[in-house]
Amino acid sequence: MASQLALKSRINSTTSLGKIFNAQEMIASSHIAKARTVALNAKPYTDAIFDAVQALAAHSDIDHPIMKAQDPNCKRAAVLALTADRGMAGAYTSSILRETEALLARLKQQGKQVDLYVYGRRGASYYRYRDRPLMQSWEGDSDHPGVDVAEAISKTLLDAYMRPTEEHGVGELYIVFTEFENMVVQRQRVLRMLPVELIRTNTADDSEGAIVGDSATDDPGEKEGVSALYAFEPSVDKVLDAILPKYIQSRIHECLLTAAASETASRQNAMHTATDNANNLIDDLTRKLNASRQAAITQELTEIIGSADALNKEEE
Amino acid sequence: MSDATLLEVNLVAADHPVWSGKAKSATIPAADGVMGILPDHEPVLTLIDAGRVVLVDAENVRHMFEVTDGFISFDSNRLTIAVERGRDVVITKDSD
Repeated sequence: MASQLALKSRINSTTSLGKIFNAQEMIASSHIAKARTVALNAKPYTDAIFDAVQALAAHSDIDHPIMKAQDPNCKRAAVLALTADRGMAGAYTSSILRETEALLARLKQQGKQVDLYVYGRRGASYYRYRDRPLMQSWEGDSDHPGVDVAEAISKTLLDAYMRPTEEHGVGELYIVFTEFENMVVQRQRVLRMLPVELIRTNTADDSEGAIVGDSATDDPGEKEGVSALYAFEPSVDKVLDAILPKYIQSRIHECLLTAAASETASRQNAMHTATDNANNLIDDLTRKLNASRQAAITQELTEIIGSADALNKEEE
Repeated sequence: MSDATLLEVNLVAADHPVWSGKAKSATIPAADGVMGILPDHEPVLTLIDAGRVVLVDAENVRHMFEVTDGFISFDSNRLTIAVERGRDVVITKDSD
Protein backbone atom coordinates (compact mmCIF):
# COMPACT_ATOMS: atom_id res chain seq x y z
CA MET A 1 0.00 0.00 0.00
CA ALA A 2 1.43 3.35 -1.09
CA SER A 3 2.12 5.79 1.68
CA GLN A 4 -0.51 8.37 2.42
CA LEU A 5 1.97 11.16 1.88
CA ALA A 6 2.79 9.97 -1.64
CA LEU A 7 -0.91 9.63 -2.49
CA LYS A 8 -1.65 13.09 -1.17
CA SER A 9 1.05 14.66 -3.24
CA ARG A 10 -0.14 12.84 -6.35
CA ILE A 11 -3.67 14.03 -5.74
CA ASN A 12 -2.38 17.58 -5.35
CA SER A 13 -0.38 17.53 -8.54
CA THR A 14 -3.24 15.94 -10.48
CA THR A 15 -5.60 18.59 -9.17
CA SER A 16 -3.36 21.39 -10.36
CA LEU A 17 -2.88 19.68 -13.73
CA GLY A 18 -6.64 19.36 -13.99
CA LYS A 19 -6.96 23.08 -13.37
CA ILE A 20 -4.48 23.80 -16.13
CA PHE A 21 -6.34 21.53 -18.56
CA ASN A 22 -9.57 23.19 -17.65
CA ALA A 23 -8.09 26.62 -18.25
CA GLN A 24 -6.68 25.49 -21.59
CA GLU A 25 -10.07 24.17 -22.56
CA MET A 26 -11.70 27.48 -21.76
CA ILE A 27 -9.02 29.38 -23.66
CA ALA A 28 -9.57 27.13 -26.66
CA SER A 29 -13.32 27.64 -26.59
CA SER A 30 -12.91 31.39 -26.47
CA HIS A 31 -10.52 31.18 -29.42
CA ILE A 32 -13.07 29.28 -31.43
CA ALA A 33 -15.47 32.18 -31.34
CA LYS A 34 -12.65 34.41 -32.49
CA ALA A 35 -11.63 32.03 -35.27
CA ARG A 36 -15.20 31.94 -36.46
CA THR A 37 -15.39 35.75 -36.67
CA VAL A 38 -12.11 35.89 -38.56
CA ALA A 39 -13.37 33.33 -41.03
CA LEU A 40 -16.64 35.21 -41.44
CA ASN A 41 -14.77 38.47 -41.99
CA ALA A 42 -12.64 36.97 -44.72
CA LYS A 43 -15.61 35.47 -46.52
CA PRO A 44 -16.88 38.52 -48.45
CA TYR A 45 -13.45 38.99 -50.03
CA THR A 46 -13.23 35.34 -50.99
CA ASP A 47 -16.70 35.53 -52.48
CA ALA A 48 -15.84 38.65 -54.45
CA ILE A 49 -12.75 37.02 -55.91
CA PHE A 50 -14.63 33.85 -56.66
CA ASP A 51 -17.33 35.78 -58.49
CA ALA A 52 -14.71 37.66 -60.49
CA VAL A 53 -12.97 34.44 -61.47
CA GLN A 54 -16.31 32.98 -62.47
CA ALA A 55 -17.01 36.01 -64.62
CA LEU A 56 -13.61 35.67 -66.24
CA ALA A 57 -14.11 31.99 -66.86
CA ALA A 58 -17.48 32.60 -68.43
CA HIS A 59 -16.04 35.35 -70.58
CA SER A 60 -13.24 33.45 -72.18
CA ASP A 61 -11.54 30.11 -72.27
CA ILE A 62 -8.89 30.91 -69.82
CA ASP A 63 -5.54 29.81 -71.06
CA HIS A 64 -3.47 30.83 -68.12
CA PRO A 65 -0.64 28.81 -66.58
CA ILE A 66 -2.45 28.79 -63.26
CA MET A 67 -5.39 27.00 -64.83
CA LYS A 68 -3.37 24.61 -66.93
CA ALA A 69 -0.07 22.94 -66.18
CA GLN A 70 2.55 24.35 -68.56
CA ASP A 71 4.48 21.16 -68.75
CA PRO A 72 2.41 18.01 -68.55
CA ASN A 73 5.58 15.95 -68.07
CA CYS A 74 6.65 17.85 -65.00
CA LYS A 75 7.76 15.26 -62.48
CA ARG A 76 7.85 17.58 -59.54
CA ALA A 77 5.06 18.39 -57.13
CA ALA A 78 4.81 20.58 -54.07
CA VAL A 79 3.02 19.55 -50.92
CA LEU A 80 2.05 21.97 -48.20
CA ALA A 81 1.12 20.45 -44.85
CA LEU A 82 -0.77 22.63 -42.40
CA THR A 83 0.10 21.60 -38.85
CA ALA A 84 -0.13 23.27 -35.45
CA ASP A 85 2.42 25.44 -33.71
CA ARG A 86 1.76 24.01 -30.28
CA GLY A 87 0.88 20.60 -28.99
CA MET A 88 -1.96 19.71 -26.64
CA ALA A 89 -4.31 19.39 -29.57
CA GLY A 90 -4.75 15.65 -29.48
CA ALA A 91 -4.05 13.94 -32.77
CA TYR A 92 -4.32 17.13 -34.83
CA THR A 93 -0.74 17.34 -36.04
CA SER A 94 -0.10 13.62 -36.17
CA SER A 95 -3.14 12.99 -38.37
CA ILE A 96 -1.98 15.67 -40.77
CA LEU A 97 1.51 14.16 -40.83
CA ARG A 98 0.06 10.70 -41.45
CA GLU A 99 -2.06 12.04 -44.30
CA THR A 100 0.95 13.88 -45.70
CA GLU A 101 3.10 10.76 -45.59
CA ALA A 102 0.42 8.83 -47.44
CA LEU A 103 0.23 11.53 -50.09
CA LEU A 104 4.01 11.62 -50.43
CA ALA A 105 4.09 7.88 -50.91
CA ARG A 106 1.33 8.11 -53.50
CA LEU A 107 3.13 10.82 -55.44
CA LYS A 108 6.40 8.91 -55.31
CA GLN A 109 4.64 5.92 -56.71
CA GLN A 110 3.62 8.05 -59.65
CA GLY A 111 7.29 8.79 -60.18
CA LYS A 112 7.11 12.34 -58.92
CA GLN A 113 9.64 14.18 -56.94
CA VAL A 114 8.08 16.05 -54.06
CA ASP A 115 9.04 19.37 -52.53
CA LEU A 116 7.71 19.61 -49.03
CA TYR A 117 6.52 22.84 -47.45
CA VAL A 118 5.32 22.89 -43.87
CA TYR A 119 3.25 25.38 -41.96
CA GLY A 120 3.32 25.12 -38.18
CA ARG A 121 6.13 24.47 -35.73
CA ARG A 122 5.13 20.92 -34.81
CA GLY A 123 5.21 19.67 -38.36
CA ALA A 124 8.44 21.48 -39.14
CA SER A 125 10.20 20.03 -36.13
CA TYR A 126 8.94 16.55 -37.00
CA TYR A 127 10.62 16.69 -40.38
CA ARG A 128 13.69 18.48 -39.14
CA TYR A 129 14.25 15.87 -36.45
CA ARG A 130 14.13 13.18 -39.09
CA ASP A 131 16.50 15.09 -41.35
CA ARG A 132 13.99 15.26 -44.13
CA PRO A 133 14.51 18.13 -46.52
CA LEU A 134 12.01 20.96 -46.17
CA MET A 135 11.76 23.54 -48.90
CA GLN A 136 10.40 26.10 -46.51
CA SER A 137 8.42 26.35 -43.34
CA TRP A 138 6.28 29.03 -41.75
CA GLU A 139 5.93 29.06 -38.02
CA GLY A 140 4.27 31.02 -35.29
CA ASP A 141 0.88 31.86 -36.78
CA SER A 142 -1.05 28.64 -36.80
CA ASP A 143 -3.80 29.73 -34.42
CA HIS A 144 -4.30 33.21 -35.84
CA PRO A 145 -3.32 33.14 -39.51
CA GLY A 146 -3.33 36.63 -40.99
CA VAL A 147 -3.37 37.83 -44.55
CA ASP A 148 0.39 38.40 -44.38
CA VAL A 149 1.27 34.77 -43.86
CA ALA A 150 -1.22 33.70 -46.55
CA GLU A 151 0.44 36.18 -48.87
CA ALA A 152 3.93 34.89 -48.06
CA ILE A 153 2.89 31.28 -48.57
CA SER A 154 1.04 31.84 -51.81
CA LYS A 155 3.89 33.94 -53.18
CA THR A 156 6.47 31.26 -52.43
CA LEU A 157 4.33 28.50 -53.85
CA LEU A 158 3.30 30.41 -56.95
CA ASP A 159 6.94 31.29 -57.58
CA ALA A 160 7.80 27.61 -57.42
CA TYR A 161 4.88 26.80 -59.68
CA MET A 162 5.71 29.43 -62.26
CA ARG A 163 9.36 28.46 -62.57
CA PRO A 164 10.15 26.37 -65.63
CA THR A 165 10.59 22.66 -65.02
CA GLU A 166 14.34 22.86 -65.64
CA GLU A 167 14.77 25.24 -62.74
CA HIS A 168 12.99 22.93 -60.30
CA GLY A 169 9.60 24.35 -61.03
CA VAL A 170 6.73 22.27 -59.71
CA GLY A 171 3.79 21.11 -61.79
CA GLU A 172 1.26 20.62 -59.05
CA LEU A 173 0.52 21.88 -55.61
CA TYR A 174 -1.28 19.91 -52.95
CA ILE A 175 -2.39 21.19 -49.59
CA VAL A 176 -2.99 18.86 -46.67
CA PHE A 177 -5.17 20.51 -44.08
CA THR A 178 -7.86 19.80 -41.56
CA GLU A 179 -11.35 20.74 -42.46
CA PHE A 180 -13.61 22.06 -39.78
CA GLU A 181 -16.89 20.27 -39.94
CA ASN A 182 -18.19 21.04 -36.50
CA MET A 183 -16.90 21.19 -32.95
CA VAL A 184 -16.57 17.44 -32.72
CA VAL A 185 -15.66 16.39 -36.24
CA GLN A 186 -12.63 17.66 -38.09
CA ARG A 187 -11.40 15.83 -41.12
CA GLN A 188 -8.05 15.73 -42.85
CA ARG A 189 -8.26 16.64 -46.49
CA VAL A 190 -5.92 16.77 -49.43
CA LEU A 191 -6.67 19.54 -51.85
CA ARG A 192 -5.05 20.02 -55.20
CA MET A 193 -4.62 23.76 -55.34
CA LEU A 194 -2.65 24.14 -58.56
CA PRO A 195 -3.36 23.96 -61.40
CA VAL A 196 -6.78 25.34 -60.54
CA GLU A 197 -9.79 23.41 -61.66
CA LEU A 198 -12.56 25.86 -62.03
CA ILE A 199 -16.12 24.93 -61.53
CA ARG A 200 -18.09 26.63 -64.21
CA THR A 201 -21.54 26.24 -62.79
CA ASN A 202 -23.04 25.73 -59.41
CA THR A 203 -22.37 22.01 -59.50
CA ALA A 204 -19.42 22.23 -57.21
CA ASP A 205 -17.29 19.17 -57.57
CA ASP A 206 -15.78 17.59 -54.54
CA SER A 207 -12.19 18.69 -54.89
CA GLU A 208 -13.10 22.34 -55.17
CA GLY A 209 -16.57 22.77 -53.94
CA ALA A 210 -16.33 22.06 -50.27
CA ILE A 211 -14.54 25.28 -49.54
CA VAL A 212 -16.05 27.62 -52.03
CA GLY A 213 -19.28 25.68 -52.16
CA ASP A 214 -21.40 28.40 -50.59
CA SER A 215 -20.48 31.00 -53.14
CA ALA A 216 -20.95 28.56 -55.98
CA THR A 217 -24.60 28.10 -55.17
CA ASP A 218 -25.56 31.56 -56.34
CA ASP A 219 -28.39 31.37 -58.79
CA PRO A 220 -27.12 30.70 -62.30
CA GLY A 221 -29.64 32.94 -64.00
CA GLU A 222 -28.01 36.05 -62.67
CA LYS A 223 -24.63 34.86 -63.84
CA GLU A 224 -25.67 34.28 -67.42
CA GLY A 225 -26.97 37.77 -67.89
CA VAL A 226 -23.92 39.37 -66.44
CA SER A 227 -20.90 37.52 -67.60
CA ALA A 228 -21.09 38.20 -71.30
CA LEU A 229 -21.24 41.94 -70.88
CA TYR A 230 -18.26 42.60 -68.68
CA ALA A 231 -15.65 45.01 -69.89
CA PHE A 232 -12.22 44.08 -68.62
CA GLU A 233 -9.74 46.83 -67.97
CA PRO A 234 -6.86 47.20 -68.71
CA SER A 235 -7.22 43.87 -70.60
CA VAL A 236 -8.45 40.35 -69.99
CA ASP A 237 -4.92 39.03 -69.68
CA LYS A 238 -3.83 41.66 -67.23
CA VAL A 239 -6.92 41.14 -65.14
CA LEU A 240 -6.27 37.40 -65.15
CA ASP A 241 -2.64 37.90 -64.20
CA ALA A 242 -3.69 40.00 -61.25
CA ILE A 243 -6.74 38.14 -60.07
CA LEU A 244 -5.69 34.50 -60.30
CA PRO A 245 -2.81 34.88 -57.83
CA LYS A 246 -5.20 36.69 -55.52
CA TYR A 247 -7.62 33.83 -55.93
CA ILE A 248 -4.92 31.36 -54.94
CA GLN A 249 -3.97 33.53 -52.02
CA SER A 250 -7.50 33.79 -50.77
CA ARG A 251 -7.97 30.03 -51.15
CA ILE A 252 -4.82 29.44 -49.14
CA HIS A 253 -5.96 31.93 -46.54
CA GLU A 254 -9.24 30.10 -46.34
CA CYS A 255 -7.42 26.80 -45.79
CA LEU A 256 -5.33 28.39 -43.06
CA LEU A 257 -8.44 29.71 -41.35
CA THR A 258 -10.24 26.36 -41.49
CA ALA A 259 -7.12 24.67 -40.20
CA ALA A 260 -6.87 27.17 -37.35
CA ALA A 261 -10.49 26.59 -36.40
CA SER A 262 -9.94 22.82 -36.48
CA GLU A 263 -6.80 23.15 -34.42
CA THR A 264 -8.62 25.11 -31.76
CA ALA A 265 -11.51 22.67 -31.77
CA SER A 266 -9.26 19.64 -31.42
CA ARG A 267 -7.33 21.41 -28.68
CA GLN A 268 -10.56 22.03 -26.85
CA ASN A 269 -11.60 18.39 -27.25
CA ALA A 270 -8.20 17.14 -26.14
CA MET A 271 -8.22 19.40 -23.11
CA HIS A 272 -11.77 18.37 -22.24
CA THR A 273 -10.73 14.72 -22.28
CA ALA A 274 -7.64 15.55 -20.24
CA THR A 275 -9.75 17.33 -17.64
CA ASP A 276 -12.05 14.32 -17.42
CA ASN A 277 -9.11 11.98 -17.08
CA ALA A 278 -7.60 14.12 -14.36
CA ASN A 279 -10.86 14.04 -12.44
CA ASN A 280 -11.09 10.25 -12.77
CA LEU A 281 -7.53 9.93 -11.59
CA ILE A 282 -8.24 12.13 -8.60
CA ASP A 283 -11.25 9.97 -7.70
CA ASP A 284 -9.14 6.82 -7.97
CA LEU A 285 -6.34 8.24 -5.90
CA THR A 286 -8.72 9.57 -3.25
CA ARG A 287 -10.21 6.10 -2.94
CA LYS A 288 -6.77 4.62 -2.54
CA LEU A 289 -5.87 7.27 -0.01
CA ASN A 290 -8.98 6.48 2.02
CA ALA A 291 -8.26 2.77 1.87
CA SER A 292 -4.71 3.32 2.96
CA ARG A 293 -5.78 5.59 5.84
CA GLN A 294 -8.36 3.03 6.90
CA ALA A 295 -5.76 0.31 6.78
CA ALA A 296 -3.37 2.38 8.87
CA ILE A 297 -6.09 3.00 11.48
CA THR A 298 -7.02 -0.68 11.59
CA GLN A 299 -3.41 -1.60 12.00
CA GLU A 300 -2.98 0.90 14.82
CA LEU A 301 -6.09 -0.42 16.55
CA THR A 302 -4.92 -4.01 16.23
CA GLU A 303 -1.61 -3.02 17.70
CA ILE A 304 -3.22 -1.21 20.64
CA ILE A 305 -5.63 -4.04 21.35
CA GLY A 306 -2.86 -6.57 20.99
CA SER A 307 -0.62 -4.77 23.39
CA ALA A 308 -3.48 -4.18 25.85
CA ASP A 309 -4.25 -7.92 25.75
CA ALA A 310 -0.64 -8.69 26.41
CA LEU A 311 -0.59 -6.32 29.40
CA ASN A 312 -3.81 -7.84 30.79
CA LYS A 313 -2.40 -11.33 30.47
CA GLU A 314 0.72 -10.28 32.35
CA GLU A 315 -1.40 -8.88 35.22
CA GLU A 316 -3.35 -12.11 35.49
CA MET B 1 -33.88 59.98 -55.54
CA SER B 2 -35.20 56.48 -55.82
CA ASP B 3 -33.36 53.34 -54.90
CA ALA B 4 -32.96 52.24 -58.51
CA THR B 5 -30.51 54.98 -59.29
CA LEU B 6 -28.17 54.24 -56.42
CA LEU B 7 -25.14 52.03 -56.42
CA GLU B 8 -25.03 49.15 -54.02
CA VAL B 9 -21.47 49.26 -52.83
CA ASN B 10 -19.59 46.55 -51.02
CA LEU B 11 -16.02 47.35 -50.08
CA VAL B 12 -14.13 44.35 -48.72
CA ALA B 13 -10.55 43.88 -47.62
CA ALA B 14 -8.89 40.48 -47.51
CA ASP B 15 -9.52 40.05 -43.81
CA HIS B 16 -12.61 42.10 -43.10
CA PRO B 17 -15.52 43.85 -44.76
CA VAL B 18 -14.83 47.58 -44.76
CA TRP B 19 -17.98 49.31 -45.84
CA SER B 20 -21.22 48.49 -47.52
CA GLY B 21 -24.25 50.52 -48.36
CA LYS B 22 -25.86 52.63 -51.02
CA ALA B 23 -23.98 55.33 -52.86
CA LYS B 24 -24.65 57.91 -55.55
CA SER B 25 -21.25 57.73 -57.08
CA ALA B 26 -17.89 56.08 -56.63
CA THR B 27 -14.41 57.18 -57.63
CA ILE B 28 -11.86 54.46 -58.00
CA PRO B 29 -8.09 54.49 -58.56
CA ALA B 30 -8.23 52.15 -61.55
CA ALA B 31 -5.05 50.85 -63.12
CA ASP B 32 -5.44 53.13 -66.13
CA GLY B 33 -6.29 56.20 -64.16
CA VAL B 34 -8.97 57.39 -61.82
CA MET B 35 -12.39 56.17 -62.80
CA GLY B 36 -15.76 57.48 -61.77
CA ILE B 37 -18.75 55.22 -61.58
CA LEU B 38 -22.32 56.44 -61.63
CA PRO B 39 -25.46 54.34 -61.59
CA ASP B 40 -26.12 52.35 -64.78
CA HIS B 41 -22.48 52.22 -65.72
CA GLU B 42 -21.64 49.35 -68.06
CA PRO B 43 -20.56 46.11 -66.34
CA VAL B 44 -16.86 46.34 -65.78
CA LEU B 45 -14.15 44.39 -64.03
CA THR B 46 -11.03 46.40 -63.56
CA LEU B 47 -7.86 46.33 -61.52
CA ILE B 48 -7.13 49.10 -59.12
CA ASP B 49 -3.89 50.50 -57.78
CA ALA B 50 -3.14 51.73 -54.32
CA GLY B 51 -4.96 54.96 -53.75
CA ARG B 52 -8.19 56.41 -52.51
CA VAL B 53 -11.69 55.21 -53.07
CA VAL B 54 -14.27 57.94 -52.66
CA LEU B 55 -17.91 57.09 -52.22
CA VAL B 56 -20.74 59.59 -52.02
CA ASP B 57 -23.63 58.04 -50.20
CA ALA B 58 -27.31 58.78 -50.44
CA GLU B 59 -27.06 61.57 -47.86
CA ASN B 60 -24.28 63.27 -49.79
CA VAL B 61 -21.70 62.24 -47.25
CA ARG B 62 -18.30 61.53 -48.75
CA HIS B 63 -16.50 58.45 -47.53
CA MET B 64 -12.84 58.11 -48.31
CA PHE B 65 -10.88 54.90 -48.00
CA GLU B 66 -7.21 54.21 -48.39
CA VAL B 67 -6.81 50.99 -50.32
CA THR B 68 -3.98 48.92 -51.71
CA ASP B 69 -4.21 46.96 -54.91
CA GLY B 70 -7.23 44.91 -55.74
CA PHE B 71 -10.04 45.01 -58.23
CA ILE B 72 -13.59 46.19 -58.65
CA SER B 73 -16.45 44.51 -60.38
CA PHE B 74 -19.58 46.33 -61.35
CA ASP B 75 -22.79 45.01 -62.78
CA SER B 76 -26.46 45.89 -62.53
CA ASN B 77 -25.63 48.70 -60.11
CA ARG B 78 -23.81 46.42 -57.73
CA LEU B 79 -20.27 47.53 -57.12
CA THR B 80 -17.84 45.20 -55.38
CA ILE B 81 -14.49 46.62 -54.43
CA ALA B 82 -12.12 43.92 -53.25
CA VAL B 83 -8.74 45.06 -52.00
CA GLU B 84 -5.78 43.46 -50.24
CA ARG B 85 -5.89 45.99 -47.47
CA GLY B 86 -8.36 48.73 -46.90
CA ARG B 87 -8.21 51.25 -44.16
CA ASP B 88 -11.56 52.25 -42.79
CA VAL B 89 -13.01 55.65 -43.37
CA VAL B 90 -10.29 58.26 -43.57
CA ILE B 91 -12.41 61.37 -43.91
CA THR B 92 -16.14 61.71 -43.64
CA LYS B 93 -17.58 65.08 -44.43
CA ASP B 94 -20.50 66.69 -46.13
CA SER B 95 -19.97 67.55 -49.73
CA ASP B 96 -22.38 70.18 -50.82
